[in-house]
Parts: sequence; structure tokens; C-alpha cells
Amino acid sequence: MLRTSILACLLALSTAVPALAQTMAPSIEQPVTITFYNYNLAAAGLGAEATQKLINEFMAANPNVTVTGVPYGSADGSRIQADLAAGLPVDVVQTVFSDLDFSVTNFGAQALEDIVPAGEIATHLQGMHPNGTKLGVLNGKTYGLAYTFSTPVLFYNADLFRAAGLDPDNPPKTWADVKSAALAVEEKTDAEGFTAGITGPSAVDWLFQGVVRSNNGEVISRDRKTLKFAEPEAIEAVAMLRDLYDAGVYENYDFAGAVDGMASGNLAMYLQTSALQGSLVAGANGNYELRSSTMPRFADKPTRPNNSGSALTIHTTDPLKQRAAWELMKFLTSEHGYTIITSEIGYLPLRPAIVTDPKYLAGWIADHPLVAPNLEQLDRLEPWDPMPGANYRQIVKTMMDAVEMSIFGGADVATTLADAQANAQALMP
Amino acid sequence: MTIDVIARPARARPVTLRRISNRSGLNTAAGHLLMVLLSIFCLFPVYWMLVSSFRPANTLFETSLWPTQPSLDNYTRAVDAIPIARMLINTLVFSAVSTVFQLLTGILAAFAFARWKFPFDKLVYTGVALTWLVPFQVVMIPNYLLIAQMGLLDSVLALILPNIAAALAIMLLAQAMRGFPKEVIEAARMDGASNWRVLWEVLVPNLRGTIASLAILIFISTWNEYFWPLLLSRTAENSVIQIGIQMFMTAEGNQWGPLMAASTLASLPVLVIYVVLQRQVVQSFMKSGIR
Amino acid sequence: MAIAAHAPTRLRRISNARWAPWLYLAPALITLVVWIYWPLVDAVRLSFFQWNMLPNSPQVFVGWENYQRIFALPKFWQALRNTGVYVLGLLPLAVLIPLAIAIYTHDLPERSRNIYRAIIFVPMIIAPVVAAAVWRWLLDPAYGLANQAIKGVGLDPVKFLSDPNVAIWTVIAITGWKLMGFSTLILSAANANINPTLIEAARMDGAGKWEIIRDVRLPLLSSTVLFLVVMTILLGAQWSFTYINVLTGGGPLGATTNIYYLLWDFGFSTMSVGWGSASAVILFLGFGVLAFVLFRLIDRYSFHDN
Repeated sequence: MLRTSILACLLALSTAVPALAQTMAPSIEQPVTITFYNYNLAAAGLGAEATQKLINEFMAANPNVTVTGVPYGSADGSRIQADLAAGLPVDVVQTVFSDLDFSVTNFGAQALEDIVPAGEIATHLQGMHPNGTKLGVLNGKTYGLAYTFSTPVLFYNADLFRAAGLDPDNPPKTWADVKSAALAVEEKTDAEGFTAGITGPSAVDWLFQGVVRSNNGEVISRDRKTLKFAEPEAIEAVAMLRDLYDAGVYENYDFAGAVDGMASGNLAMYLQTSALQGSLVAGANGNYELRSSTMPRFADKPTRPNNSGSALTIHTTDPLKQRAAWELMKFLTSEHGYTIITSEIGYLPLRPAIVTDPKYLAGWIADHPLVAPNLEQLDRLEPWDPMPGANYRQIVKTMMDAVEMSIFGGADVATTLADAQANAQALMP
Repeated sequence: MTIDVIARPARARPVTLRRISNRSGLNTAAGHLLMVLLSIFCLFPVYWMLVSSFRPANTLFETSLWPTQPSLDNYTRAVDAIPIARMLINTLVFSAVSTVFQLLTGILAAFAFARWKFPFDKLVYTGVALTWLVPFQVVMIPNYLLIAQMGLLDSVLALILPNIAAALAIMLLAQAMRGFPKEVIEAARMDGASNWRVLWEVLVPNLRGTIASLAILIFISTWNEYFWPLLLSRTAENSVIQIGIQMFMTAEGNQWGPLMAASTLASLPVLVIYVVLQRQVVQSFMKSGIR
Repeated sequence: MAIAAHAPTRLRRISNARWAPWLYLAPALITLVVWIYWPLVDAVRLSFFQWNMLPNSPQVFVGWENYQRIFALPKFWQALRNTGVYVLGLLPLAVLIPLAIAIYTHDLPERSRNIYRAIIFVPMIIAPVVAAAVWRWLLDPAYGLANQAIKGVGLDPVKFLSDPNVAIWTVIAITGWKLMGFSTLILSAANANINPTLIEAARMDGAGKWEIIRDVRLPLLSSTVLFLVVMTILLGAQWSFTYINVLTGGGPLGATTNIYYLLWDFGFSTMSVGWGSASAVILFLGFGVLAFVLFRLIDRYSFHDN
């Protein structure tokens, strides 16, 4: 009797111990501090203010939890790397989607399925757009919940459209339309016709992935083992962009030149993340009419836009901190969280219902029609695939250098991409 | 003719003198013209920064030389967004302390190189010079780990520590000290002055010009330092002004207006310090000229 | 007795003379060793590994692979060539013009001399990122003032930063704009330190203004000039870094990428310690050899004012 109960106890313990190590604490009964590495906090302005506001609201609602916001630069994760190396706690991170693979294999991002009770995940994901929740899925597990993200939008200057004899109510739908509209602008006005944030130092490869996919190609195979950006569909997509450049309508801007060109009214069309909206509106205000449309398609193929931006990832292995991190994650991706993110930071709501709900975003959306193409594309949204392995950044750079040479450098598209693909494939794990 | 020739020496002198001064007058005018053009080249972008900081967001891209609707909008936005005063004070402490220490360590090390021949002196000097060639990014994270072990993260002291010695100061001072007349040093030694006193009572006062110039350079380069503070600072309150300026530059476009306002505010203290120290530099030049 | 009394003092003197330089050097050397050489030595070792710097992950030995990959970068030789262009382009701006200014302003009345020198120094105090931002603004093909002027004369606008043939010169000019004050200050200080009696003696011998410059000032300034030349050669690539980073990102088409930027792009900014360390070693050794040659040259040709 005694023996069996001891045995039962031991058995219970032995099963309980791994369970405890895996599953987070059921609730927060004692004060706990977690760190939140966030790149919006590294910039001044609305993003930082809204982020801090959300953090403060969360702490008010959860008095036992203290959230320390740590700013870091999204362009390089060296702060996170350095802090992990120094043994400092890195608990929750706003992770750029292209860094997700590296973050999982190196920074210890935890799969939600491993640490959160299944029922809680299901409850929280209810009401989220299924296209949105799959963005943070890697190898079948959810490592991140989409946090601040957006889709490619074709911004256009309605005044320049009118000056060029184009109909601003009927923006270009295909790449051929883009070309003819841009030609008209170049001919009739002093402005430039078109540019896109496909290449350039801060572009990474997100928009390129969307453009290639919209031509039914891929830059990397679904199992993320083989690079495919030198396959015919991708070559065709790059050749199309090259044709735009050769026709003199695709302006190759320097670094920040495109944003300022658009903001100052010297550029008619700009395909870029909707996250730019704030800067563009500030320049357009009182100068010209800024409008937006969905990304252009290849002839009759439907577009397959993907996202830019970030997901939230949990890195802590402490059960209590995991609970606090999960509560923070839930709060930030709640109806209220996405309302703030959309209206004050300028990204997209992952919960479609709040768009028409007057309690949340309905009023704001009515006042901000520019965000409409974004919402429309949510239904066709596909993930921004992160490159795998330790050399993922070098892979992206090699690929994008070749794309730039092919579009603007006069290099032969097929051979340039094939060379780069061979070089980059050698860097794959 | 002959009379003229004989008479010429007497009159020639003032003529040539006048001719020279005429020509040099022309030269001076041409020189001044060049210098004025150069000055415009140097000053105009700075002027543009100043002017743009007074342009509200929707007239930011206008090309008039003067803001058509001047406003302090950008300044209020900049001051609201980042703790500018705190950041300026931190930067001032960081730069001033780093400057003093770099000068101190530089003066001592330079004296060793200039005063003595000792085993491996060339090698050590080369070693000092070569630190220039070490890319900062490679030492950045190891230094960060060291600072973390010392428990100094997110403090101004952590900013200063790796900056208390630098090759530029050591090398420039060593060069200046080597150029200093040896006889003067020997004379002081004959009078029984120790090396320590020779350094501080003979060399340093005489090299005031070089030291002041160097102080300006060190101060400015520390003031403009960016990578190390970026890695180190975790809160805006413990951060420096360069980080504050960069906070207006994001992947989603730059907030030019507040950026220009913050930059103007960041440049003012350095300008003032330069003007003050510049006078000191000039005075010490004049003193060394009289000697 | 006399001998015995003498010996200790002599001994003390000798040990003094032996240790004194090291005592004076200690603060600087300790700082440089702790914060620079120690990590550098570690970097040499890590350049043969693949590692992400995290304590719980393994360091995988990969031999020369990191080096091979860097030398195989398609842009490597273009970047090396561009580095040469940067140095050649910067030399006039960082040495020649400041030398002319230092000598010219030296003989001006005190007031205008101070004003000119102060003005030339002003770009130094502007933060590099801000300098880059303002210049980009002024040079924009559409709304930039420079192109408004060019268009006003009836010429085609120049794409200062997006034309592959022009961009590198634009970056050089901006780097030089920032640097000129630094060199002018150093050269002016050196020029003012020249013993006036030497100038006076030359003048007594009937030397004209140009002869004094050529035969007295330039030789006496030669070591400072050489110093600046060496600095420009060794550090020109680093000085341009911020402007490349903010203005062009190495583009268009790699036209402004120099070796420092390339290695930063593929090494330091990628979180893989192996690539970054190998980059650092390549930079250090490459420029180190260059520095060694240059310092030897300086030793041979420099001229001290004694």
C-alpha cells in the first residue's frame, strides 16, 4: 500500500518533471520580469510610443508582470546575439520574418505547440486570419505569431496620373499596365514613372519573393532545401523588370531616394510595403493626392503577395516567464492590440473581424482608405520564407546582388541568376 | 638714357615694391575668392540642415533658400520623441572624459617613445599604430561581453572604458615630441629636473597647440561615435545623442524634419566648444611664435 | 667605499632607464591590449570556425572555408579596385587642398585666418549620418538644389548617387568634405610650429615667398604630410563607410562598394563569427602589410625640425 503509493508518487513526479519543464506555469502568482526585444522601440515616433503604450496597458492589466522593453536594430541582430552570449535574459523578441529560421536554430525561439497548452492556442487563434497564423510556422510548428506585418502596395500619385492623361480611378492592374502608365508619365511630365522596393540595402528579399511567386515561381523549394530563383518562372519575372528598366520607366533610385521621390511628388508609382504609408502621407499632405492599389500581376495570373515585417517569438525556458511571455503575446495580438498596431504603428490587423467592428477599426479604416488594398491582399497572403542555416544572410545578399545586376546592370538575366544560385546553394546547410 | 640708368636704382625700389604689392594684391583677391568658394562649399550643407529644421513636414522638399513657412514644429517633435537634454549631457560626459583620458595616456606613451630608445620600441610603436587597422566590429561583441562581466552594461562608464587610449593621440603626440628640440630637454635635465618634470613643465606647456588641436579632434570623434553606443545603450536615458539622431532614421522612411532639428541641437555644443578651444589654439600658436 | 657607494645609484639609474618607458607606456598599452588585441587574437582563431558566438552552441572547425568564401565573393575584386579609387580620390581632398589652405592662411591677417580655418572646420562637427542625409538632399536628381542649378544652366540633371559612373566620386567628395577640416587643423598646427627664425633666415638669404614655401616649409611639413597620406591610404576605406552605408548601400551595382564595406556586409553584419573574424583578419593583414611598407618609407624620408 505504502509502497504502491510511493511508487505512484514517484511515477507522478517522473511524468510531472518533464511536463513542468515543457509546459509553462498555469498562472502568475508572483512578480516576474520579462524582457521584450523590440525594434520599434529603437526608432523615435509613433511606433515606439504605441509599443510603449501597449506594454504599459499590459502591465496595468497584469500587475505581477514587469515588461522591460529593450530596443534593438532590426538590420542586425547583434544586440540579441551579444546579450545571449553575455547570459542576459532574452525572453520575447519582435523577430523579422527572414530571421525566423536563424532565431529558431540559434536564439532558441520556442514553438508554441511545445510550451503552451493546446487548448489555449486554439482559443487564442480563433478569429485570426488563417493566412496570417501560418506566417510564423516553420517545419510544421508555430514559432512566431505575426505581429507587425504588411503587404506590397502600389502607391501612386493621382495628380501625376491626371497630368499624364491617365485615369487615377483606374490604376494599373498588370505589369503591362504599369509599363504603359509609366511611359505616359515619363512622356507628359517631368516626374519619374515607376520604382519598386525590390532591390536595395534594406529590402532584403521579401518583395522579390512575392513578385517571383506571382509568376508562379519560387525562390526556394517548399522544403527549403533547394534554391529555385534561377528557374524559368523567376527568370521571366526578373526579365520583365529588366524590360521596364530598359524601357526607361523603372527608376533605379539610391537608398532612401525612392521614398523621398514619392513623398516629394517626383515619382508616379511606387511598389513597396504599406508600412511606408506614414512617411508618404506626411509628404503628400497639402501637395498632391496619394492613392494606393494592389500589387500588379503577370497577365492573367492572380498575384500571390507575401508579407514583410515581424513576428513575436518566445525565447525563455523558465515556466513562469513563459507564462508571462505568452500573456504578453496574447495581449499584443488581441483585437485591441491589432487595433493599436494598425491605427498607430501602420501595419495590418490579423483579425479581419475588427476591421468592420465600430468598437475597433471601422471608423479608422473609413478615414484611411489607403489601407484597403492591404486588407484585400490578406486573403491571398503567403509567407515570407526565411533562408535556412547559419549563412542565411549571405544567401539573401548573393541572390539579391544578382537580381540587381540582372535588372539594372545589363548582365544576362539567365546566366547571372544561375551563377548566383550555384554560389548561394553552396552556402545552404 | 644714361641719366635714366643711373637714376633708376634710386627710383626702382619703390616701383618694384608697388608692383609686387599690386601683384600680391591681385593674388590676395584671387586667394580670397577661392577661399570664399571653399567656405560656401563647407558651410552650405550645414546651413541647409539648419534651414530645413525649420520647415514643416509638407514643405520639407521645397528648394527656397529660406523656409517659406518657418515653424518650430520639428523641434517640439524632436524634444517630445527623445530625451535630448539627457542625451546631450551623456554625450558631453562621454566625450569630455574620453578626451582627457586619451590625452593623458597619449602624453605618457608618446613621452616614452620620444624620450628613450628601449628594446622593442619600434615594434611597440608599430603595434600601437596597427590598432587603427582593427575593424571596430570585430572587437565590439567581445568588448560587450567583457563589459557585461564587469556588470557595467547601460552606463556611461562602459562607453568610456575602451576609449581611454587611442593610437591617433599617441602617434601625433609622439611625433610632436620628437620634433621638440633635444637641447632644451637636455638643458632641463642638467638643471636636475626629473623626466616627469621635464614632461609636464617643459614639453606639455610647449606643445599646447598640438594638444589643444588633438583635444578638439578627439572630442569631436567621440561625440560622433555611433557603433559602440548603439550596442551598449538599452535605454534612451543612458544613451548618447548620435543614437537619438538615428532614432529618426528607420527602414520605413526617415523623419527628416525632427532629424534635422535634433542634428542642429547636437551640433551646437560642439560648435561652441570648437570656437572656444580654437581661440586657445590660436593663442598658443602665437606664444610659441614669440618664443 | 667610494665604489661601493656608487654602484647602487648606477644600478638604480639603469633599472630606472629600463623600466621608465614601460611605466609611461603602461596605461595606453594595457587599454589597447585589453580592448583591441585580445579580441583580435581570438578573432584569428575564430576565423577558422563556424560559430554564432552563443555559449551553448558548438564551434565547428571549418579550416580555411571562411577565407575561401570571402575571396570567392563576386564583388571582391571590384571592391578592391574601388578601394584604390577611394584612396586616389581622397588624397587631394585630405592632403593637397588642406596643405594649400594651411600655407595660404598662415600669412593672412589673424582675423581672416581664423574665420577661414573655422569655416573649413565646420563640416567636422556635423554627425556623419546627418552629413550624408543633407548631401543626399542637395544632390537629389529631382528636387535637389545642385540639380536645380544644373537644370537652370540647361544641362541634364546628374544622378549623383544612382549613376554607377558618378556615385563613387560623390561619396569621395562627401568624405573629403568632412575630412578637410581635420587635415587643415593638423597641417596648420605643424605649420605654426615651424621655428620662425628658419623662415627669417631664408628671407635674409633673399628667398621669395615661393622659395620659402618650397625650400623651407614643405620639407619641414613633409613628415606631417606623409602622416596624413598614410592615414588616407590606410583609413580612407573606413572613413567612407558611413556615407556608403547611408547613401548607396554599396550600390548602384556595387560601384561604391569598397573592401571595408563589402567585408562588413558579408561578415560583421551577418552574425556569423567565422565570416566576421576572417574579414577582420584579411583587413588587418592586408592593410598591415601596406602600413609596414608605408612606415618604412616614412622612416626613410621624414625630416625633423631640430
